[in-house]
Formats: sequence, structure tokens, C-alpha cells
Amino acid sequence: MALFQRFEAAIDAGIGRRRLGYALLALIIVYLLWFPNDTSQSNYAKTVFISGFFYAIMASSWALLAGIAGQFSFGHMAFMGIGAYVAGLVARDGLAFLTAESISSVGAIVIGTVVAGLVGLVIGMLLLRLRAAYLALFTIAFSELFRIVMLTEYDYTGGSNGLSLRPLLQIADVETARQVEYYLMFALLIVCLLAMYWVANSQVGLFLRAMREDEDAASALGVNVVRYKILVFVFTSMIVGLAGAIFYSDIGSERIIPEQLEVLQMSLIIAYAVIGGMESLIGAAAGAFISRYLLEATREVVITYPFGLTTADGSNAFVWEPGAWRYALFGFVMVLTLRFMRNGLLYPFITWFSGRDLVMKETVAKRESDEDHAARQGADDE
Amino acid sequence: MTDAFTTWLLLAGPLWAVFGLWALPRFAGSRKVKDETGLARLQVAGVVGGFALGPVGLGIFYLQPRWITRASLTVGLLLAVFISSQVLVRIEDPNLPSALWLILAGPLWSVIAAYFIPRRYREAEADDQNALTAAALGGFAIGPLIFGLLWQHTPKISRDWIIVLGSLGAWQIYTLFALHNADNLCVAAPYHITYLAQQTANGVVIGCIYSLMAVGLTLIYSVQGIVSFAHGQLYMVGGYFSFYFLLHGSNLLSELTGTEISINPLWGIPVAGIIVFLMGALFERAFLKPMHEGLIERVSEYAILITFGFGFVIEYTTLAIAGPFPQRTDRFIEIRRFTFPRTQITDQFTFGPINIIGDRAFAMVIGILLIFALLYFLQRSWTGRALRATSQDRQAAAVTGINPTNMNTLSFGLGSMLAAMSGAALIPIFAWVPWVGAEMVGRSYVIVVLGGLGSVPGALVGGIIVGIVEALGAGCHPDPSRGAAYKEAFALVIFALVLLLKPTGLFGREQT
Amino acid sequence: MKHSKALFVSIALVALLALAPMGLVSADGHCEFDDYTIKLGGLAPMSAPGAVAGGVAMDWAFKQAAADINADCGVQIDGVNYMLEVITGDSEGSPERGQAVAERLILEDEVDGMVGVYHSAVGLATMGIMEENGIPTIFSEPWNDNVSANGIREFDGAPPRFDDGIDHIFRISPASSMVGSVVTDWLIALGVEDVVLIVENTDYGQPAAADEQARLEAAGVAVSQIDVELGTEDFVPILSRIQASAEPPDAIRIVVTGETSFNLTQQMAELGIAPTPDTICVTNQIAFQHVQYWATVPDGNYCAFNRVGIIPSLFNDTAIELNAAYEMEFGDIVPSFGMASYDAVFMMVDAMERAGSYSDAAAIVEAIEASDILLSQGRYYFTYGAHNESMPADDSMPDFMWHQWPDPIVTVMQYFEQGQSSLDAAVVYPEVYQTHGTAYVVPGTSP
Repeated sequence: MALFQRFEAAIDAGIGRRRLGYALLALIIVYLLWFPNDTSQSNYAKTVFISGFFYAIMASSWALLAGIAGQFSFGHMAFMGIGAYVAGLVARDGLAFLTAESISSVGAIVIGTVVAGLVGLVIGMLLLRLRAAYLALFTIAFSELFRIVMLTEYDYTGGSNGLSLRPLLQIADVETARQVEYYLMFALLIVCLLAMYWVANSQVGLFLRAMREDEDAASALGVNVVRYKILVFVFTSMIVGLAGAIFYSDIGSERIIPEQLEVLQMSLIIAYAVIGGMESLIGAAAGAFISRYLLEATREVVITYPFGLTTADGSNAFVWEPGAWRYALFGFVMVLTLRFMRNGLLYPFITWFSGRDLVMKETVAKRESDEDHAARQGADDE
Repeated sequence: MTDAFTTWLLLAGPLWAVFGLWALPRFAGSRKVKDETGLARLQVAGVVGGFALGPVGLGIFYLQPRWITRASLTVGLLLAVFISSQVLVRIEDPNLPSALWLILAGPLWSVIAAYFIPRRYREAEADDQNALTAAALGGFAIGPLIFGLLWQHTPKISRDWIIVLGSLGAWQIYTLFALHNADNLCVAAPYHITYLAQQTANGVVIGCIYSLMAVGLTLIYSVQGIVSFAHGQLYMVGGYFSFYFLLHGSNLLSELTGTEISINPLWGIPVAGIIVFLMGALFERAFLKPMHEGLIERVSEYAILITFGFGFVIEYTTLAIAGPFPQRTDRFIEIRRFTFPRTQITDQFTFGPINIIGDRAFAMVIGILLIFALLYFLQRSWTGRALRATSQDRQAAAVTGINPTNMNTLSFGLGSMLAAMSGAALIPIFAWVPWVGAEMVGRSYVIVVLGGLGSVPGALVGGIIVGIVEALGAGCHPDPSRGAAYKEAFALVIFALVLLLKPTGLFGREQT
Repeated sequence: MKHSKALFVSIALVALLALAPMGLVSADGHCEFDDYTIKLGGLAPMSAPGAVAGGVAMDWAFKQAAADINADCGVQIDGVNYMLEVITGDSEGSPERGQAVAERLILEDEVDGMVGVYHSAVGLATMGIMEENGIPTIFSEPWNDNVSANGIREFDGAPPRFDDGIDHIFRISPASSMVGSVVTDWLIALGVEDVVLIVENTDYGQPAAADEQARLEAAGVAVSQIDVELGTEDFVPILSRIQASAEPPDAIRIVVTGETSFNLTQQMAELGIAPTPDTICVTNQIAFQHVQYWATVPDGNYCAFNRVGIIPSLFNDTAIELNAAYEMEFGDIVPSFGMASYDAVFMMVDAMERAGSYSDAAAIVEAIEASDILLSQGRYYFTYGAHNESMPADDSMPDFMWHQWPDPIVTVMQYFEQGQSSLDAAVVYPEVYQTHGTAYVVPGTSP
């Protein structure tokens, strides 16, 4: 322990924790930028990263909506689906006076994003009256309805065969194509994260956090609760709509299927965000990466016996294919994280580097004043 | 003949309704009766009685004001709906404009009214609590007329109002069916009555079974104020506990006694209930108790996530242990099996034209008995009363010596137990797989929200309504090929509407 | 520092979870094996939302085939014995995951061939990956007609991705058109006049139902279709609807899989709709798993079902052995996709041995095209491929016949005793395979 404290002191005296943190972050970004040029890595590794970026966008935007703005939505995947499905449908069938031929893939993506935002606007307005559990239930219902319609109207949506979107890129060489796809998705992640950080750290973010802790008080202090609630809903809906439309335009996958909108998929997004840290955008994004890596790495657990020992049948390693246990353990990690490290597994790292408690000061002050929190919970739920 | 009948209905029904609206509150009974029944209900009785039975209905209500109950009004309304449908079926050439009005205008006026009326009240700084519900329902049911009714002051929107307006809305939808396709089984005379009765019976039976699970959910909510997102998985795992208990229990007994013994699935219900009660109680102690002790901020979101994670763990653990292959236990009662020719089918109960599958009826009875046992427990036993007291006012309950912490644990355990018991009651009926809870739990959410979160009778009524809506929806959907695929969606639509219009549900506590 | 403890805890947690080193299992044996291990990738849905039950059986079949081959001195190429390993990739039934996993198998695990695939959507999505990377592939279960056909993009606006056709993909499962035709031919031969199709709204159900509907209507049979969502438990409302129609239909055909199919069949029987002397009950291939079937459909006596794959009376020694092994593991009869997955591994190995290489894709593809091998499902061969001058269209055959095993046996079978093993069930159609000399066992009788 003493050693660690000396190390801390040395860092503080030298580069400073904050700067060290930024340096590390920069290092990670540089590595990610350089990664596709690493010839020792296969195309598969790039694919993993591409879908990692996509889920990072999903998780971090959910963190903005649920963690920072306190709107506990289960409909996130549905908005992603709206973006992708609308983009696919307009590119195939055209839209009003626009024919299918006149809509480029970029145009289709833009339309998909805008429609996701519009639906987000309507749903956001409907959600105003609902809080916590009710909001969660309503968004589950919305999401399920959307999935069922996409599945059942197969004449139009392709049903469970899925819907192909117009490919965004037309690059013949697989190697190059994958590289471009990688950079495109990475750029999208960075842009989305920056935009969300800007929102979270602006006055809007302050209002959102204030509303999350006590909506009535915020309203009494002159925050236009209605406006900001809708705003954040539309904003995140557009982000995931955009991410969905791009990802399924043959960047990460060439078709979207209704099964992608199941509650299970949504629950995975939530689990990513929880494990990474619900109140930190970058934590949630990293959580998606870490969780997906863990789920992938535990497909087959092989522990080689030490000292060249072998068992009677000659095997030199203990092999375990966890199958469904993998998800059970993953759920267990999520539950434990929630209970004991509410701010995510990465929270201590981030805190250490930033040298202060990342949870906003006003939040802490508010929480400390809530001595009789238990007594208040009834009111909180209503 | 037909024309005369139609004319009478078209003119006289509404006429008598208007007369009843004016006359009944004025003349019926003594002042005491009026105070007891309330003006609004007398008005409703006038309209309903007048429309359904004309002067006869008004006469009955005039002579016996005590009969003006919710039940009799509902019966009257159903009668009115039925009569109206008869009229519409008899109109030979349904003209397009009326269909268009029904399709477009109902929802349109609903939205318009829902937008403007609450706004008006807010501007006038009047009480707008029920304005949205009333405006949206009324706009759908009677179009622009609702503005006239609601413009001046918002009514105290009672259940009577909701029933009246809701029935009118349902009537509109029914009319639409008749106009859309007169051959639809639900409107085509003369079999549509038995058909509707059969579908309603289907709905009631399965609805009672649904209720049992929903009751657990609502119990947890009423005491702890949280919605358990692990409920579907507890239901599923209850079925599996029953299955494995019966399997291994029967094998063990057979081995011990040397004869072939199979335990009746009925025994699986308490066994699964007890095991899952312990599971739920342990989970509550470990993960939910800290929440009530103020160790965790933003409890409602924590509760959603933690129960969700709990369900996730249960589902995949079960999948890992039990495997993905479907299972099922024996029946509750081995009624004589199928024999041919067809006349000897005896696996169902028959009431006139209505058939109900034997085991399903049995499961319904179990469900109802368990719900009543729970109600009895809540009303009569000390522990049950303590639970109710905690749900009404935690602090006051604590003052009287009730330990709220124990009540929390008890409520979560009991709620989980009810889910498991309904699982154990259904595994003889449905093929069981580890993801079987997903569909069922979605329905329970609909039921509890519809009935009012926290209300046990509400869950029973809500379950039956959802059952009927699903059965009628699948049975009457204009496109037979899509009816079944959208079965789940019908309930979800109701769910969304209730959440938007009246989040407290039918029997829920008013928000304070 | 307040946080340093938490920091250590999370470091420990992350480190612990990251510990997942890879390794390899070796088997004993009397043969001298080369150091190189030939790897095949097996795609199967091993977790939800995929059809896990199917994936588990396929995974088992891959492993079983590899074990059987290794026990027989592995893959023998030019006098050298190579160990065979089949690495199962979990497609989760999702095209996106399927694509990623296929890439992982090809690029990370460097497999020499691919087998398997259950869901058609996964098949359609992964074909491109195999084609791009030049990996010989034998699909053992996807049914969609477009799998194995040339030109796979259904989206019109996009240029076809493979101008030069699909070279590396083979299929030994039937195309859905091949399955539907047998059932419909049977129904038409029986002289039914109206049929109700109950169909799951998935990539399997819809095309199959559309195909059957077209065939039936062409023969003048009235068809009405009812869609259901997989996972629905209670079908009573929709069955009451069928019951309320004036005349009971002559046949009800269930194009639904999994436990949903079992629920539907059972409720149909409980309500007394079918099977009855008036109404034929036709369910699908999963009814062949008789242990599961009778456990969940106790009233399903006299239901007919289409059997895809070889019928029990024609089981050869390989099939009987395979079935015994499967029964030992799962306590039920081996499903057709288990057999096909087992065969696919053997076919690939056979082709490698004949091609004299495990890595020369072109040679292996050529060898697969020239396959003539007797395995658990019968003799495998391919009519249309580079070895045949003419394309399917030239012989007015449907496009999917390209690289398609033309002979998957599709039959209609029928149970006629409660709790009957599917080994004893009657094969009623086509006539050449009839076991009990009847085209239909009328409910209440015994052939």
C-alpha cells in the first residue's frame, strides 16, 4: 500500500494524474487509429472492432439517456431499428415524390436518422408523464410492438429474413473496404461521443442531472423540464438511428433482422453500460468493449496444467465450454457491479486519473442531504 | 319489419337515453338514495337504461334505484352495444362515409381533444388531473361533442365514466368490423353470438391463469414500490422446479415401493412455490434490502436493473442446466383419452356451445383459489394486515411495531412464489423451455398496469380483460392470417394506451 | 486514498476475467499423426435468439464426426495422417453474429473448410464471407432457396457481389421448395379440398408456406393461411376461429417449429379439431423426435409429419450407429440436421483426401463436386457444378439446384399408436417408400 501511495505521490509531483490520464487516452486513440494498419491482425479483428464501436455508441448514448438524464428507456434498440429499417425501405421503395433511384445511400441514412428523431419526438412527448418503472414498461411495449410489426409485415419488411440496406461503400478490395469501414465507424463513435460530451457538460447537461435528482425542484428553479426531457430523447434517438442506419449499410452487417430488436439484445446494451459505468459516457463505451471481449473470450475456457502435467487420458489442459453459463456468469457480474460498484468497473480508474470524484458535486451534495432516503423511496417511485 | 326495428333503434334508443339523462336524476328515489348513488351515476343509469331497454329500463331504475350498481350498468351497456351492433349489421349497404368517419374521426378527435382540453384547464388554472383521460376517451367515443361536455369543467372521472366512454369506443370498433366485412365470424349472424361467447370464455379462462402471475407482481409493487423484472424467469423456473420434483420424486417413490408411481402435478405447485419463495426472499435480503436502508441512490432505477439482472442469471442458469429441449409434465386429471369416432371426445368441458379444455379449466380453478387464498391472507391474518399496512404507510406501520424490512422480504418472497406457482400450474398445459417467461411476463405488465399497480383485485380484473382482448383480437381480426401473429400486440396497444391516458389503471391509487 | 482499494479490486477483477488462454485437446490413438491439425469451422446457433436445440444437436454431430474420423487415423492425405478438429462457432441465429463468427473461424482459427449453418438468414449472410475468402463450404441445414443459388443479393439497387457466381458453397439439406412439394403432392393425392396452413412468420415458415400455397392452389385446393409468432403459447382463440367456420377443413398443415409447434399440435388435438376422421393433421419434421413429441403432444396420435432425411427403415449401419450415439447423449432419435452435419464433415474430409490437399480450395471444391460417397443419409453427389457443362437453367431446373444435393429424401410419415417410436411410424408417401402399404392411416384404425 505504501508503495502505491509513493507511486501516487510521484505521479502527482510529476506529470500529474490528469495529464497522465489524457496521455493514456491519447495513446488508446492513437492505437485504435493505427490498428487497421497492423498487418499481423486479420480482417476478423477489424470486424470485431467495428461492431465494438457500434455497441459502444449504443451503450454510451443509453448512458446519456438513462444515467445522466434519468430516463430509463428500453426502447433504444427500437430507435436503432427505426433508423436502419427506414433507411432500407426508402432506398428500396422511394419516399413520396422521391424515387428509389434518386435516393443515395447517404440520403437514405439521413432520412432514417431524421425519422428516428421524429419518432423519438413523439415518444418523448408521450413519455413526459411517466417515470421510472412506468417509463421502462412503456418503452418495452413500444419496442416489442415495433419488432412484432417488422416481423409480421414480411411482405414489406422482409420479416425474419431481414432487410438489406443500400451499401454505403462500393469498394471491391476486401482488405481496403474493411479498413475504410473501420475508420468510418470509429469516426462515428468519436463524433457521437464528442457531441454527447458537449451536451452532457453544457448547461443542458447540468439541467438534465438536476432533473434526474429532483424534477420538481428543477422545475421550480426555472428549468424547462419538458423541453429538455424531449430534447435529450430526440438527441439520443437520432444518434442511435444514425448508428443503426450506417452500421447495417453493409458496414458491420449487410442486413437487419427483427430479432436484433428483442428485449434480450436491449438487455445486453444495458448490461454493457452498467458494467462500464452508467454515469460516464466513455465508461459505458468502454464497458461495451470489455463486456463483448469477455463474452467472446469465455466461449471456451482452457487452462493448461502447470509443469507439463497431464491427466490419465493424456490431455494437458482443463477445457470447459461454458455454453449458457457464459451468459449466466455475465449476468452475475452485472448484478454484482450494480450492487457493489454502482458506477461501473471502470469508475475507480477514471476517478483516480481525474483526481476527484466524477459524480457531479451538486449530485453529491443532494445525496448527502437525503439522510432519510429510505423513507423517501415511496415518493421517488410514484 | 327489419326497417321498423332499425328505425326504432336508431331513433328511440337515443331518444330514451336523452330522456333518461334528464329524468332519472330528477325523479328517482329519495334524497338519501341520490346522495348514496351520486348524480353522475344516476345520469349514466338514465342513459344506459334508456338506450338499452327504453322506458322499461328507466322504469326499473326509477322503481329500484338500489339496482343502479356498476354491475347492472355494465350489463346494460353490453346490451346496448349488442343492440347497436344488430342495427349496424342490418343496415344493408354500409356507406363509405360512415366507415371513413369511424376510421379517421375517432382517433383524430381523440388526439385533438387530448391536446386542447387539458391545455384549456391549465390556462384557466382549473384541476386538469383527469382531463387528458376524459378528453382522449371521449374524443374517440363521441367525437367533437366531447368539447361541449368538457369545455367548462373537468368531471370527476369515475370508473362509470371510463366504462361508458370505453364501451362506446369498443362499440365503434365493433361497428368498424361490421362495416369492413360482414362475413367476419364476429359479426356474421346467426353464429356470431356463440362464437363471441366461445372466444370470451377462452379469454376468461386464460385470463384467470394470467392473473395469478400478475398478482405476485402487484403485491411486490404495493409493498416495495418496485416492479420486479425477474418475474417471468421466476415463473419459468417454478415450472422447472415442479417438473424436476415430479420426475425425481416419482422415480424415487417407484424405487422405494417397487411399483410404478407418478406424483400428481398438483403437488408440484406448493413445492415450486416454497423453493422460489426462499429464492426470492434471499435475493431480497441480499440485493434489495440495502436499497431500503438508503445505501443506494436512485432506488427505482437500481431496482429495475438489479431485478433484471437477477432474471438474466436465472434464465441462463436454467438453460445451462435443463437444456433447450421442451418439457412438460403429466396432466392434472387424466380424463378419458381421445377415442374415435369423434363424438367421444371427452377431454373438454362443454357448456352449451362453449367448450373449455379440461386441464385449462383446472388451472383456472387453481388460479382463482390461490388468488382468493391470498386475499384471505391479506385481509384476515396478522401478517397479511401488516403487509397491507406497510403498503399504505411505511412509517406509520413501523410505529405500530411492524418491521418494514421483514415485510419487504415477505412481499418479494410471496410475489415470487405466486409467479412460481402459476408456472407450476401451467407446465402441464404448455411445452416448457427456458425462455418461456418472456412472453408471459410482458402480459403480466399489461395486466398490472391495466388493473392498477398495487391492486390485487385489479390484477384479477386486468387479467380477465387482457385474456378477452387477446382472444377477441385474434378471433375477430379482419385478416385471419394476421390475427394470431398480432395476438401479443393487442395487449401491448391497450397497455400503451392505459399508460398514456390513465397510468393509475382501473383500481390503482390516485397519484398524490 | 479512499479509492485505491477499489482500484485494486477492479484491477483484480478485470485481470481475473481476462484470463482465458487458448489451448488444444489431444486424443489418444494408435496412429502416427502429423503435427498439423486440419480444422473445419462449424456454424451453429448455440445461444438465444438462435434455435439452441438445433445448434446443440449440430455441435454434437460435428464433434462426433471428428471423433469418429480421428479414431480411424484422421484425415489421410498422401499417406500422412492429420488430426481433424471441428471448431463450432456460435451464430446466435443472427446474420451479423454469423458473419463475424465466420470471419473469426476463417481468419483467426484458419479453418480449411466450413460446415453447418442452421438459420437461412445466417446462411445468406455468411455465403459472401466464405466466397470472398475461398473456403469450401457444405451447408447442412439452411433451407432458403437462395442459399446455393447464384446471385444472392435480394436488394435490387445493389450490384451483385459475385459476378462469377457462387463457387464454394454446397448444400446437402433440401431447399424449401423441395420439402413443400412432397407434402402438397401427398395432400393432393389424398384428394383434400381445403387446407388451413398455420405458419410461423420466420425465414423458414413464410417461403415454405408460400410455396405450398402456390402448389395447392394450382391443384385447385382452397388454402387459407394463418400466421403465428414463434413463442406464442396459447392458440385456443385462433383454433376456435377455425372450429367456428362452417365446414371443418380437410387438412391442417403446421409450418411451425420448436416448442411452439408442440403447443399448437397439442391444443389442436385437445380441442378436437385435428386429427379427426374429417381433418388430417400434418405437422413438420420436428415431430420425428418422438420422445420430445410425445412428452409435449400426448394427444398427437394419427398426426402426419414430413420427414426430411432418410427414413428409419432405410437406415444404413452408419445411421444406426449415429442414432445410437445420439440417443445415448440426448435420449431421443437423431434429427436430420444432426445426420446432415455429421455427413457434411465426412464429405469435406473425403473431398480433401481425394483432392490430395487440405488447403487447395479449388481442388477441394472440384473434389466435392465429384463426390460420390455413401454416408448416414445416403449417397451424396452433385448434378450441377463446374463439372457439368450446363447450368440448372439450361435444363429448366430451378436455380437452387446449383451445388445442391438433388436427393434429400423427403417423406410423409404418420404415427398410428400413442407413444409410438418414429422408428415404427408408418411412411405413407411417396409410394416407393411406403412401409405399411397405405397412403393414410385413418384415425381410429391401424394399418
